[in-house]
Amino acid sequence: MNGKDLINIGIYGAIYFVIMMAVAMLGMIPIFLPLLAVIVPILGGIPFMLFLTRVKKPGMIFILTMIMGVMMLLTGMGPWPLLTCALAGLGAELCMKSGNYQDAKKAVLSYGIFSMWIFGNYLPLFTDYEGYFAQRADYGQAYIDAVSRLMPLWMAPVLLIACFVCGIIGGLIGRKLLKKHFEKAGLA
Amino acid sequence: MAYASEQAQEKRRGFLDPRTKLMLVLLLAVFVLGGLGGSTLKPVKTVLSALPFALLLIEGKTGRFLRGMIMLGIGYGMLAAVGVLPGVLRHIALMCGGILTRFVVTVMMGEYLISSTSVSEFIAGMERMHMPQAVIIPMSVMFRLFPAIGAEWTSVRRAMRMRGIHLGGAKAGQVIEYQLVPMMTSTVRIGEELSASALSRGLAAPVRRTNVCRIGFRIQDYILLAGGVVTVVLWVMELCGVKLW
Repeated sequence: MNGKDLINIGIYGAIYFVIMMAVAMLGMIPIFLPLLAVIVPILGGIPFMLFLTRVKKPGMIFILTMIMGVMMLLTGMGPWPLLTCALAGLGAELCMKSGNYQDAKKAVLSYGIFSMWIFGNYLPLFTDYEGYFAQRADYGQAYIDAVSRLMPLWMAPVLLIACFVCGIIGGLIGRKLLKKHFEKAGLA
Repeated sequence: MAYASEQAQEKRRGFLDPRTKLMLVLLLAVFVLGGLGGSTLKPVKTVLSALPFALLLIEGKTGRFLRGMIMLGIGYGMLAAVGVLPGVLRHIALMCGGILTRFVVTVMMGEYLISSTSVSEFIAGMERMHMPQAVIIPMSVMFRLFPAIGAEWTSVRRAMRMRGIHLGGAKAGQVIEYQLVPMMTSTVRIGEELSASALSRGLAAPVRRTNVCRIGFRIQDYILLAGGVVTVVLWVMELCGVKLW
């Protein structure tokens, strides 16, 4: 990995992060909180698929994922995303590596695996239910009721799977846009 | 011997060291936005929330300061209105107020960090913390690109609005395609120019780069760092069940 690769990680990481944050603001409305596991992977697919066309060497996907984990820590999502980022980043990296960083189908699958890191943002809701709401007590009882109704325990696996499936969909959309726009512009 | 460029840097030197700023961002994210800690930390949180506003004033960023104050005012206004509003509106006001008062403070801290720190200072700070290159380079590129992406996105949105492509005016798919794609294209181009310029200045060269920025802890940094340590100690004490007040 050389300097250019690291700079590319920064460029695509920044685009992905900005898109994610813009969408994540919706999550303050309770009904959108579970839906983030659908919207973020679908929109994030566009920058990520473009990023994967730049990835030729091992390690780049993992570093990008870990940086997302650090950014989540800095934006107040707690330490859990760091763990899911490490796992998802490793999985996505291995998947891309098995296709020698060229396989288009594996790229879509790799983005699906990568997207599962988002689940880390939900983890405190399921592992430390009381603590999560104690920290948000000043949002009012109506908020707490709405979120706990939307997020029963069985939502945990559903959200994880939603991240993966929507990641695949997002990856496919990203590929389509790649062909339609970015190749024409000489970027892909 | 002091070079002219060094003297110029000394004049431009920010109020705080970039490492102190990073620590403050982390503290605010964890304690104010994340809501960690109970009643013992309430006064600490109040002080922490006031910090970004004080810092913005010290650095002379009055515009950002006023914008933040207005947003915060709206948030507290909503919380104050909770008593008089009927039914559903009351819950909405409570929720929006609670979220707004927390977020605005943290966003202001982030804005302070980005607007008052040059990329060189940021790199110098990260290097002093002995971060590996694989962290420093992507983070500093992101740091540099955030404002650029914001500006690009605003102009793309404006251009597309003129053609009737905006939320509520066109299909969601169209909005996404014709807003995100141009935004990304121009950001990637900016990033590529940036990378060419950074590489020509020896970023990622196998040697140790020198840095003209003067950073280092001064009295204000030590005070804030000590405050950070106190915050964490108070939190640990609260976890252990010690009641202070």
